[in-house]
Amino acid sequence: MKPRPAAVIAVASGKGGTGKTTVAAHLALASSALHATLLVDLDVEAPDSMGYFPGAVPVGTAVPVTVAVPRLDESSCTACGHCASVCRFGAVVAIGSVVTVDAKACKGCGRCVSACPSGALSETEMETGKTSLHRRGRLEILEGRMAIGDIRSVSVIEAAKREEGRLPVVVRIRDCPPGVSCPATHAIDGADFVILVAEPTAFSLHDLDAAVRLVRGRGVPSGVVVNKAGFGDADIEGFCSDRGIPVIGRVEFNASRAASGAAGALWEDDPAFMAEMGRVLSVTLDGRAEREGETR
Amino acid sequence: MTVTVASGKGGAGKTSVSAALASWLGASCVVADCDVDAANGAIALGAMLRVSEPYFGGPGFSIDPGSCTACGNCLPACRFGALRTPDGSSVPHIIPELCERCGACLDRCSAGAIVMRETEAGRLYVSDTRLGSVLVHAELVPGEDTSGKLVRKVRVRADSLASPGSVIVVDAPPGIGCPVIASLAGSDLVVLVLEAGASGIRDALRLVALLDSMGRIPGTVAVINKTGLDPGSDGLARKVLAEAGIRVAGEIPFDPGLRSVEESGRTWADLPGPAGDRVRSALSEVKAAIDSRPGTAPGRQSEKELT
Repeated sequence: MKPRPAAVIAVASGKGGTGKTTVAAHLALASSALHATLLVDLDVEAPDSMGYFPGAVPVGTAVPVTVAVPRLDESSCTACGHCASVCRFGAVVAIGSVVTVDAKACKGCGRCVSACPSGALSETEMETGKTSLHRRGRLEILEGRMAIGDIRSVSVIEAAKREEGRLPVVVRIRDCPPGVSCPATHAIDGADFVILVAEPTAFSLHDLDAAVRLVRGRGVPSGVVVNKAGFGDADIEGFCSDRGIPVIGRVEFNASRAASGAAGALWEDDPAFMAEMGRVLSVTLDGRAEREGETR
Repeated sequence: MTVTVASGKGGAGKTSVSAALASWLGASCVVADCDVDAANGAIALGAMLRVSEPYFGGPGFSIDPGSCTACGNCLPACRFGALRTPDGSSVPHIIPELCERCGACLDRCSAGAIVMRETEAGRLYVSDTRLGSVLVHAELVPGEDTSGKLVRKVRVRADSLASPGSVIVVDAPPGIGCPVIASLAGSDLVVLVLEAGASGIRDALRLVALLDSMGRIPGTVAVINKTGLDPGSDGLARKVLAEAGIRVAGEIPFDPGLRSVEESGRTWADLPGPAGDRVRSALSEVKAAIDSRPGTAPGRQSEKELT
């Protein structure tokens, strides 16, 4: 079956270190043999996708991601305090006749600027990170990278998603951040299918439960890839069967994969693994997985 | 004395090292599991739940369809893509998972249709561990956006439960963002768990850069985890830590026995044999680093200070 135009596949997990980046990078590689494919690294606090493609060529220069933060013109400020009363992030504080702006705490909602009756607040762009594009053969890689010390990972994720939408490709594969809070939510939003990568450990099983609740809550079709199968005793398959979520792939643990994974080398020459990635790709592009889950 | 275990990369071994350290320090320590998105401290330490409290992250917003006049004035106010008009409807709704709770839409609504509502965003727990120590942990409702705030709640509660002279072990979340900064703030010592692999090293260096930007806590030590898989990565890990001026407390080999000992309800410190010896050696070095630091007395943390 031909993929719909611009299929978006998000690779997420709950627990970190289960193999999201490994699965996303190799799915993208498998996909690029068939379709124009973009790998999007949305794990902006710890971007590692590019690590798999050291020979990739930069396309253009890195693009700064900015958030519009307030700038105070003290000469027009009447210290009325309206700005501080609407800010819910503690980024604008009024104490007596002094208004202070903490731009690093600002989420860029613009509410203080709208609330200012004297025109003392304007907006200025503050950099929160960068996006950059690279190419390796038929595969393009878009990386979002949050600046050190910043807390606005969502601004970088959303900027990378806008860039993702502009690029003329057929398949988009997102490497998402761990966890189930705002960065993960924004990273899976807009995806056609979410692949949850789990490993057979008690920790991963616990976190998979939260990830399934997040994905189900957003109403996105999903399936589980069991990574490092045989490495632990936790029954990921049993959990998936109970929840009616399909297991769409299984990658056996072995020592040579662990070693080359540590070295950061691609597993292109691992035929069993690449075949499994090809199967996972076709299941997600066909969108069969969730329907199978529903009828089970 | 607050010791924060952090790594940058997920899956580097933070929770396992935290649990083993808690076991090494004994019943007097308090463990604060600050990975509220993916909290595994309770599994690692065999927690028996004692207290469960609701956590509220601050009011969110919703639209009352009965009062909404579908004027559309609110739509351009939202800069986060959280206000959407579903197909076939002219009444917008707010997607709570995407809403930053800024209230910009509220200012534009003349019909009074946007209402504030406080919902439970998670739970805060206090448990007794099988080691006799206390564990403070939490669970964020999937999709909630206030994990940094919940981390602060965990920290403050752990601080209130620690007795003078005892150690608080903070298990930080992965990454370098808001909840990580909330986990690191006010720590007396940082244990950097560096996974000996290409991505583990890169992500650990981003964490070191964050620590530097916060004013590096003196006495930061590293534990290199999963050594022996790739000699190049082991060597690079030692090199980058030396360059960063971070002392290596120990190296823990990749060993399936470590996973097995956790599955049997114990910590890495309990594994017999050479891999366990390496764990115990690393823990005693970390303990020496703790003992040599002039820790701050508990009771110092307040929610305001940690903001």
